[in-house]
This record gives sequence, structure tokens and C-alpha cells, in this order.
Amino acid sequence: MASNSALESTIDKILKNTEKNILTNIKSGLDESQQKLDDAIPKLESEYDKIISNGKKEADKIEKQITGASDIGVRNKQLLVLEEAVERVFSSALEQIANADRSGDYANLVKTLINEAIQILGTSEVTIFTNTKDKDVVQSTISQFSGAKLSSETIECLGGIKVKSKDGAMTFDNTIDARIERLKPLIRKEIAAKFGVGN
Amino acid sequence: MAAQGRIVWVSGPAVRADGMSDAKMYETVTVGNSKLVGEVIRLTGDVAFIQVYESTSGLKPGEPVVGTGNPLSVLLGPGIIGQLYDGIQRPLRELSKASGSFIGRGITTTAVDMTKKYHFVPIVSNGDVVTPGSGIGTVKETDLIENLIMVPPDHPGGKISNLVAEGDYDLETVLATTEKDGQSIPLKMYHKWPVRKPRPYLKRYDPTVPLITGQRVIDTFFPIAKGGTGSIPGAFGTGKTVTLHQIAKWADSQVVVYIGCGERGNEMTEVLVEFPHLKDPRSGKPLMDRTVLVANTSNMPVAAREASIYTGVTIAEYYRDMGKDVVLVADSTSRWAESLREMSGRLEEMPAEEGYPSYLASRLAEFYERAGRVRASGSPDRDGSVTLIGAVSPSGGDFTEPVTTHTMRFIKTFWALDAKLAYSRHYPSINWMNSYSGYLADISKWWSENISEDWFSIRSEAYSVLQREDTLKEIVRLLGPEALPDEEKLILEVARMIKIGLLQQNSFDDVDTYCSPEKQFKLMKLLVDFYKKGQQALKEGAALSDIRALPVVTSLLKARMDVKDDEMSKLDQLDKNLQEQFKSISGVKVSN
Amino acid sequence: MTIEGGVQYSKIAEIKGPLVVVDDVENAAFDELVEIETNEGERRLGKVLEVGNGKAIVQVFEGTTGLSISGTKAKFVGKVMEMPVSKEVLGRVFDGLGRPKDGLPDPIADKFIDINGEPMNPEQREYPKDFIQTGVSVIDGLMTLVRGQKLPIFSGSGMSHNLLAAQIARQASVVGKQDDFAVVFAAIGVQYSEAEYFRRSLEESGALKRSVLFLNTADDPAIERIITPRVALTVAEYLAFDLGMHVLVVMTDMTNYAEALREISAAREEVPGRKGYPGYLYTDLSTIYERAGKLNGRKGSVTQVPILSMPSDDITHPIPDLTGYITEGQIVIGRDLFRQGIYPPINILMSLSRLMKDGIGEGSTRADHAEVANQVYDAYSRSQEVRALAGIVGKAGLTEIDLKYMDVGDTFEKEFLTQATDENRTIEETLALLWKIVSKLPKNEITKIKDKFVDQYYKEE
Repeated sequence: MASNSALESTIDKILKNTEKNILTNIKSGLDESQQKLDDAIPKLESEYDKIISNGKKEADKIEKQITGASDIGVRNKQLLVLEEAVERVFSSALEQIANADRSGDYANLVKTLINEAIQILGTSEVTIFTNTKDKDVVQSTISQFSGAKLSSETIECLGGIKVKSKDGAMTFDNTIDARIERLKPLIRKEIAAKFGVGN
Repeated sequence: MAAQGRIVWVSGPAVRADGMSDAKMYETVTVGNSKLVGEVIRLTGDVAFIQVYESTSGLKPGEPVVGTGNPLSVLLGPGIIGQLYDGIQRPLRELSKASGSFIGRGITTTAVDMTKKYHFVPIVSNGDVVTPGSGIGTVKETDLIENLIMVPPDHPGGKISNLVAEGDYDLETVLATTEKDGQSIPLKMYHKWPVRKPRPYLKRYDPTVPLITGQRVIDTFFPIAKGGTGSIPGAFGTGKTVTLHQIAKWADSQVVVYIGCGERGNEMTEVLVEFPHLKDPRSGKPLMDRTVLVANTSNMPVAAREASIYTGVTIAEYYRDMGKDVVLVADSTSRWAESLREMSGRLEEMPAEEGYPSYLASRLAEFYERAGRVRASGSPDRDGSVTLIGAVSPSGGDFTEPVTTHTMRFIKTFWALDAKLAYSRHYPSINWMNSYSGYLADISKWWSENISEDWFSIRSEAYSVLQREDTLKEIVRLLGPEALPDEEKLILEVARMIKIGLLQQNSFDDVDTYCSPEKQFKLMKLLVDFYKKGQQALKEGAALSDIRALPVVTSLLKARMDVKDDEMSKLDQLDKNLQEQFKSISGVKVSN
Repeated sequence: MTIEGGVQYSKIAEIKGPLVVVDDVENAAFDELVEIETNEGERRLGKVLEVGNGKAIVQVFEGTTGLSISGTKAKFVGKVMEMPVSKEVLGRVFDGLGRPKDGLPDPIADKFIDINGEPMNPEQREYPKDFIQTGVSVIDGLMTLVRGQKLPIFSGSGMSHNLLAAQIARQASVVGKQDDFAVVFAAIGVQYSEAEYFRRSLEESGALKRSVLFLNTADDPAIERIITPRVALTVAEYLAFDLGMHVLVVMTDMTNYAEALREISAAREEVPGRKGYPGYLYTDLSTIYERAGKLNGRKGSVTQVPILSMPSDDITHPIPDLTGYITEGQIVIGRDLFRQGIYPPINILMSLSRLMKDGIGEGSTRADHAEVANQVYDAYSRSQEVRALAGIVGKAGLTEIDLKYMDVGDTFEKEFLTQATDENRTIEETLALLWKIVSKLPKNEITKIKDKFVDQYYKEE
């Protein structure tokens, strides 16, 4: 039985070895997966944190964007509303001017306007333009300025005059429209201040 | 009869006015209703061509131009030191009182406070005969500056009478009168002098005394003499301004005139902020007590930039005439040349190279000719000097452009700044192969008398290492350092040590910013000794790697920062260490 | 300044390039604003370049296309060009001449300011020294930006300068008090998409309400570009010195500005300086760049980051060259680094911040900052030499110490320089990275740092 027992012991050994191998394998497998799991947890956690922090960053960004945009949106609306109000004040003022009485002081105004234009142009040899409404007032004032002539052509404006040198090279616009246009920024500021906006 | 004309044409800083037949060339005039300051630079018939020193925005033909009868002049008297002037000697502090943070126009001021009292001590007596340029007394202008009150150079002189007693007087007080040919002329603490006219002197000397700047690469390798001329060209970012500031801070002169000519505003501010806190290494007093600043920054009117150079050099000559050593630093002469070019263009003159006027070279020559070490006119005997240092900003860093090439003809020390060195943070980036000094022979006597007899020979040895490295570098570039024999590798190593331990200097390090002549010499000698010992050790069979590994190497490289000027014994100790450490490796054969 | 004016002249003698020569002009001032009216009644703006002997030379910002000798009129407005300013300009978009481009009305002006500004009195300047943390390591660590500085970005076509400028504008804005900060952006002849990228970037970071945008895009009139930086800086100065804000001004692309200037100079037949640019290019650029700064006794500051593209990447070209002489340093974008895909591709050796020394150190960043930065500059410069050498003799021909420098170069580029466009690093992080690089070297190679700092921060791996 010697051979038998030898065989048996060999088989036994092999079996034992195998068992041992299997056991170690299982163990190392277990260990490995445990390790992997252990490793994975912080990784997962950091991944999770990253996702959360990215999400938070994104959210912050979006929040900033939204609040920024809405702040601006509100402000811009305000600007538009204000402008509308300013325009309304303006157009009613212009209407008043356009419809103002052409008697009395108005002739003096026209005189000042012509005087100023002639001085700036540096010549009294001028042609004067005005609208239909002011034609008469201008015509009567013009006699005080030798060399000045009223053009038969009329121009579109609220009032006042436009002066051209005889050779046509120089023009000075002294209509009420032009004067208001020049002053508009200042007038706007004042109107805005009345609405409680601006400094 | 002052000229009274009308503007007929305006284009930028250039104005033409007619009705100006009474005007003189280089007469100052007031221009327009807002009374801007201008100068007549050409006369054709009754039309004067005027460069205006202030912004001409809004100026109209038809506005008046009125002559002053005087050429552009500066006021010279106590109170100049410590000031910050614009290009036509208006104190910027006073301008800010009139117009706030920004520079307004048409403001008139006086260059110094005329009401301030100074303690006058006469040095002449009634009855003495004085000649033009002679001193009549002194006042203490700042803690550092004793101002000599002089008979103006254009004054006839004569017999002193009505001399005031020692005491406190303001600038307008008549201190004395001179009597000559029946004429009686008052003398005050100040006089005026036209900026474009060099102040006279008795005679000129050869410059033989070095200007010690405390900058190793300058003092040791490319020195400048007191009364000499130097130029520092460099592309932007090469550290031109820092180097000039270093010279202005540490040069051993009594007065420094710093002209910021078409440069950055913040640079002038930096000087203003920094100088009052820095102490002159010799007197311990604030540096501002010896400094005058002339600032015409790049965005200030271009015509005043042209004038700023003359304003500065005239002030320098004034202190020279008191027997002082004056350093004038002009940053940058290129911007000055550009202002010439701009005015020339508006005058529609025929341009020479790159649009510069053909008289660029002669203007540069005239400017640098105002440098020199001189015996001043009159009595008592005084020797003074004006050293002129001009920065050049060559376009594209190209040294063949007109301003650089013309400047090189008129200066004797050339500090060539190198962009490559600056890129590798080797500061000051003065290239040791392209720079030169024409004063080396003249001033070496001073070094051998005051520091060491070996100075010249050691300097030559140190320089030859750098020269040899320069040729070896070519081989290294092609074949790598391993292709060289050990003796040549040693040269590369020592050259590296000279560069780091001697040539480089950190101006922002408290210790390294200024280096005394003695320390300069000792550092250089240590490095040369290291080289000699290294050669010997190699011959005796030591390995190069052992030499490189000696602890003394790092000490040598850091000594410039680690050893203060009053700790020279540390350098002697370093020398001992060097000798000993070499002993430890010599004769030891080491296989590689 | 106001001058009496308002006369319209109709005798046009000549039209050439962007210039109109008006004859028989009796009453015009140098620099005066001019309104040109075309035959069709269209209005354009211009200014007087030269006046005298009955002639005025007018530069038309919107170009002379479509103008004719007869029928064109020129009105001399009687004042220099002004920009209306108020707090409400924040969050607004203007065109290159400062007119609203966002469909909203003109700002209601608190003030009208001459767009040319006045030179700051150097005596009244406050020396800039407040550290701005941009969150970009290479800038904060090696070329620190300070409040009131002018630090341009020198770039080349197609490179990532806009990404960088936008990142600076976004991240620098979180330093100090939020409400004190503003961004002024001037697009000068750049593509619409570039301008739009910048606008979106500001919008996404919520900074738009603290920004003012001036847009002259590539398809807008070229001569207008002369004005764009000036209106932008006028607003910036107002925000800084009247309202006490810290204003960052980004201007891109200054090369287009200089080209517009050259166009005018050529039309005036002036003697050119280098490459056809006018001899006064330096002076002219300085009137823009020198508007950066801080003032004594005033709270705000104007910091400029102008961007310019170097024609053929040539730093010696007159535009970068003259800019570099005026600005307080430069940030140079390197083509090689860009090609390697590195962001931000800054060539540190060619870059420099002149005001860095005053903005860093104890009390602002850290006491060792200057020295460790110097050492890194030195080491990176050596690493570049070694790399070049390795290209010839191969890695095998390098010494041990050479190899360490190679390593330094790699670490520098991969870990320090490289940064994401939304990565905002603190100065502490930046300094730690600098020490990490230095720690790659043996101690005896460290020649620029004092021993006490080496002892404290050096960590051998």
C-alpha cells in the first residue's frame, strides 16, 4: 500500500496546496476587492465633492449672472422710463414754444438771434431764413439790419432764424430748434433731477 | 519794444503768428488769450514760427501773441534743490496748487520761493573788486548744499559797496551793489541765465577722478570720470531707468540733476517718494537734499520736452560754478531727439535719417560739450564738474539708429544694455563685451592710490576671463560643454561666478544696492584668486568637479549680498576659507 | 473748454483719405469738434487737426466715403470733443465714439469731460503699490500687477490673449470691496466675436453691471479708433477720480489704433518715422497709456491692460516697441508655448512688471516673494539654455545638474504656468508652487535667496 499511500499523500499534498492556493487566492481576492472598495470610497467622495463643488460653482455663476442681469435689466428699464418722461416734458415744451404768441417780446428775441448770428459770421451781408409762422416778425425786424435780406424760401422749424452769408459759404443755425438741441443735455439733466434721478 | 502779433495758423504745438517783425530768435512769447508759454524758433518776414510749451487745444487764429523780450531762461538761486520742475522750470508743486491733480495751462509761477529767507554770510567786503562769476557770500540751501552767491557771469563786476551784514535775507533783497564806470548794479541771491547758452568758466581740466556710483560693473569695468560723458542705450525692459536711478542715488557727487525727459510719470513719482527716505552713504542726509528733478513726462507738451534738457544742464552748470561736482542724468535723450524731429516736421524742414533733422548730431554734440571738469570764473578758486549721462532708447533695440550712433561720437563711456541679459534677469544688463570706457587709463591712478596698486592688473585678469568665456561660448553652443578640456571648463565656471558674484547687482537689496570701492575690489580679487587657485589645482591633478563642489563657491556668489560695506573682515575670512579649501583638494588625484 | 462757434461752412476745398479741407474758415480752433453733414443729410463727427490762413484741416472719424466737394457742410461746434459721464454709464454699451449702442438713451450727464484729458501732474501722483491678485499664478508670482499700473499684453494673431484678459478682468474683480471695482472695456477694431466673448465673460461673472463697454469692431470706421481709447479712459478717470472706484481698463487691439493714426499721418503727407508710422507715435501713445495711475488724496485708481498684437510676432515692431517704452512692463504671449497648447502661454523671460517690486513683499504678499521669483526666473532661463543644448548634444551629453534644470523647466510649465481659465489661485498657492520649483534644485544652486528663507520654505523631495 506504500505506493497507494504515497499516491494518497501526494494527492493530499496537492489538494492541500490547491486548497491553500485557493484560500490565499480567495483571501487576496477579498483583500483586493476590499482595498479597491476602500480606495474607491475616497475617490467616490472626492468625485462627489467635485460634482457638488462644480455644481455649486455653476450655480454661483448662474446666480451671479441672473442677479447681475436682473439688476441691469431693472436699471435699464428705469432709464427708458425716465427718458420717456423727459421726452414728454420736452415735446410739450416745444409745442408751447411753437404755438407761442408772436407778438410783443418775440420780436426782441428774433432781433437778438439775428444779431448774434451776424456777429458770429462776421458779416452783415446775409440772407435770413425762417418758417412761415415767423416770417412777418422777421420781416419787420430785418429793416434794422442793413445788408440783411429775408429769403423767400421758408424752412421747417419751431421758430427763430437761420442765417447764410451772401456767398453761401457760411451758415449759422439760430433756430429755436438748434438752440434747444445745443442745450438739450443740460435741460435733460434738470428734468431728470426733478424726477429725482441723477446727481 | 515787445513784439505784438496775431496767430495765423495752429497745428499741434506749432503756431505761426504775423506782425512779429520785432521778435527775436529764441525769444519767449505768450500765446493766445490763455497766455500759453512759447518760444520763437524761426522768423520769416514778419511771421514768427513758435513752439508752444503747453497744450494748444482750442487755440484760434486771430488770438494775440506777445513777446517778452527775453530768451528762455532759468532762475538760478537758493531753493532749487529738492524741487520738481517741468521742462521750463515751473515747480510742479506750485502748478498743482493752481490746477489740482492735472496740469492746467497758462499758469505763471516763480521757480523758487522768493520770500524765503536764507542766512547770508558775506565773503567779500565793501571796497573789494569782484569779477564776473566771483562769490560774494554763502547761504545754506539745504543740509547738504552750501550755496555760493555769485556775481552773474554776464554782470560787469566792479567795486563792492552797500554790502549787507551777515543775516537772514530773502531772494529779492539787494545784498550789495557793484560800482563800475559810474554804473551801480545791484546783486541779489539769484540771477537769470538763458538755457541755450553754456555758462562760461576759466579753464577746463582732463577728467581723472572716477565718479563712484557704487555699481560694480560701472566702477570696476566701465568707469566714468567726474566731468565725463556717458551714454546708456537699451531696449525697453533692459533696466535703463533702474540703472539711472542707481547712479542718481549713489554717485559721489554733491548735486544730482535728474531729467525725466519724455518718460513715465510714475518714475518721477518714485524718485519723489523714495529719495527723501534714502540716505546719502557719505553724509547720512536724505538724498533729496542734493537732488533737483526736471520732469517733462511723455504725455506733457512735446516742445517743453525739448527745453527740459537745457533747463537741466543750465542748473547743473550753476552748481558747478560754485565748485561742486554735479551729475546730470537725462532719461531719455531719444525722446528729446524725437521732440526735435516733431518740431522739425512741423517746420517742414528737409529730414535726414529716419525723419530726424540734419542738425540732430550738432545738437547732441552741443549738449555733451557742456560736460567737463572746470576751474570756475572769478574768485575764490573753485573746481567743479558736470558729468553728463544720457539714456538712449533705440527703437527696436537697434544700436545703429541715428540717435545712438550720433551719441556714440560724443561720449566716452558707453554702457550697452542687453535684452538677452535682461531676459535672463542678469541686472544691471550692461553687456561686458559691447560696453567701453574711454576713462580707464585716466582714472586707474585714482584706484591705485586709494584702493590698491593691483587694481588695474586684477581688473584686467577678471576681464580676460570674461573675454575668453565669450569665445568659448561659441564652441559650447555647437558641441556642448563636455567637449572642452578642464582648464577651459574652469574658465566657464569662473566666468559664471564673476557674472553672478560681481557683475550682477540687486538694486532692490538693502546691502547689494551700493557697493563701496573697497568691497568691489575685494570681491573681484577673491574671484580672480579662485581662478588662479583653480588653475593650479587642476595642474596638480584635482578634478574640476571637486573645485566646483567647494563650499566657498556659494559663499563667493552670495558675498555681494551677505557682506556689508563695513564688514570687510568677512571678506578676509572668505579669502582664508578659499585658501584652505583649495589646500584640501590639491594634490588629491580623483578618478572620474 | 468752450469756444464760441457753431458756424457751418460749405466750401470744401479737398477731400483726401480721412481728411476734409474746408476753405474760407474764419472762426475755428485747433482740436475743435466738427459736424460734417453729407448731401443726404447724414451727420458725421470730426476734429480740427490744423487751422490757419483761412483753411481748416478736419479729420473725419467715420471716414469720408460718400462725401463730395459740393454739398458737404462742416459745422464747427465750438468745443472740443466731450464725453457725457455719470454713474449710470456703468452697465452700458457705447460705440467707438461714446454714443449709446445698447438702444438706451444718452446718459444723463453729471459732467461733460474733454476726452483728451489733461496730463497728471507727476508731483500729484501716488506711487502704485497695491497688489492686485489676478488669480493667475504666473502673473501674481512673477509679473505682479498693481493698482494704477499700465501692463500691456503683447500677443500675436490668433493667440489666447483675450482669454487671459477676460480671466484677469473676472478674477481681479473679487479683490477688495466689490462695489469699488469697475471694468472699462474698449474694443478697437477687433472682430465682433472677440468683443462679444468679452461681454459674455463679464456677463457670466455678473460683472457686467460694473462694466462699461466701448465697441469699435472691425467693420466700424477705422478713424473712429483714434477716439475709442480716449472716450474709454475719460470714463475710467471719472469713475476712478470722481467716484473713487478702482477701474481696470482693457483695450484691445492697440495695433489697430496705431494703424488708424498712420492712415491720418499718411493723408497729411507727414514725414514718416519707422515703418511708415508717424514720428509722434510715441508721444501719441503716451497720451493714452499715461492716463493710468493713482492720485494723491483720491481714492480710486486707473489700471490699464492694453492688448496689442505684434505684427509677425515681432517685438521690435514700432507699436510694441514704443508701447514697451511707455508702459510699466509687458506680458508677452509666446507662440511656442501656445503651440504646445499651454494656457496661459506667457513667455516669462520676455515679460516683466516694473512695479512688482513695490507691490510685493512683507505686508502685501510675503517677504520671500521677490527672491523666490528671482530664483525661478534664473532657473527657468537656465532650463531654456539646457534645453537648447540638449537639442544639440542629446540628453546624454548633459551633466547631472543640467538634468535638474530640465526638470525645473518641465515642472514650471506643467504645474505652475499651466492653469485653467476658470482656476483662481491664491497668492499662497502661487508661492507654494514657486518653492516647489526651487526645491527641485540642490541648495548650492540657490544664489538669489537668503538662507533664512531657504531654511523656512525649501523642501527637498
